[in-house]
Amino acid sequence: MKTLCQTKLALPLIALVLIAASAVATSAQDSRLQLSSLDHLAAKASQTVDVNIDEKLIRIALKVFSDQDPEEREVKKVVAGIKGIYVKTFEFESDGQYTAADMETIRTQLRGPGWTRLVNVRSKKEGSLEVYLLMNGETVGGLAVLGSDVRELVVVNIVGPVDLEKLVKLEGQFGIPELDLEPAKSKTKNEQ
Amino acid sequence: MSYGNHKTCAALVLVLFLAANVVQAKGDDFNSVVKMIEQFYGVKHVGIPFLAKAGMGVARTAARIKGGEAKRIAEAGSIKLAVFEDQDFNGEFTKFRSTLNGALNQTWSPLVQTLSATDGEQVYIYLREAGDKFNVLVITIAQRDATVVQVNLSPKNLALLMKDPEGTGKAITEEATIIDQE
Repeated sequence: MKTLCQTKLALPLIALVLIAASAVATSAQDSRLQLSSLDHLAAKASQTVDVNIDEKLIRIALKVFSDQDPEEREVKKVVAGIKGIYVKTFEFESDGQYTAADMETIRTQLRGPGWTRLVNVRSKKEGSLEVYLLMNGETVGGLAVLGSDVRELVVVNIVGPVDLEKLVKLEGQFGIPELDLEPAKSKTKNEQ
Repeated sequence: MSYGNHKTCAALVLVLFLAANVVQAKGDDFNSVVKMIEQFYGVKHVGIPFLAKAGMGVARTAARIKGGEAKRIAEAGSIKLAVFEDQDFNGEFTKFRSTLNGALNQTWSPLVQTLSATDGEQVYIYLREAGDKFNVLVITIAQRDATVVQVNLSPKNLALLMKDPEGTGKAITEEATIIDQE
């Protein structure tokens, strides 16, 4: 027979374990980056574009994109399962409008558990391009692209199961800029 | 029923109708956004009294203006438009954006927001589901002018907006303005 202590403590203990487990599960799956640290750059940028396609909008896209249109059918396939697409681009009229510290606010998040850098191309002429994948065990939980040159900064964050091939198909859709990822892939340096 | 009774009844119906409209307007995000712009920038919009009557006739007119081949984006009769002309829109747009997002994020999804510090231009596109249709709110603010447009879109045209938010958002504003000019 259980003692009073056992029964009274067991419930809170189980609750605590469940809360802790769900917190771990949430952090493991959450590939949404906090991009608001870059918002101050809008005051200096000649053009800032902020695209927010959350889970609700993805559901709407799946509803309104036609199966009859080959392009829309392809996009539907790609976005099925994705939980969000977030893009921020900044264009500047002069050099040096953003700092390494601005980039670092994003990179710090990408050094968190599960994130792996797949692509890291740096060129004085063409700027830099970094692609990161978030792995939740065997499955991909999200993707991030950090592109920059002296007068431009681009961050793309896709939450949910996605890979580079899917990202290439999404270029030019939903406000995602042309990242020119296919040529970049040939220059890929896998640094992890 | 006497003539007097008919008159009282008609007046009562009119009062109820007007009261219902006022309640609807109060809860309307379109009007809230217009007021927010007026308060934030200290500007006044130009009234567009005939837009509520926009219907198939206007749709035909818009098509005619565009040479008869224009493909309408907004559903006929769904356009709400507020125009601000020749006034100053100086102010911290990052602060305005925060205020706007704070006010609309509960019921609308912010699809795309475009800002230009050098040109002083801001474009905000929000959308929400409305039964089997979709409401789209496009707010465009330039240095001296601004427009707020709300339209209903069919699923097909919403797909266009989602594929090319900037281009389609611009087309929605242009279309509403053409109808207004008529």
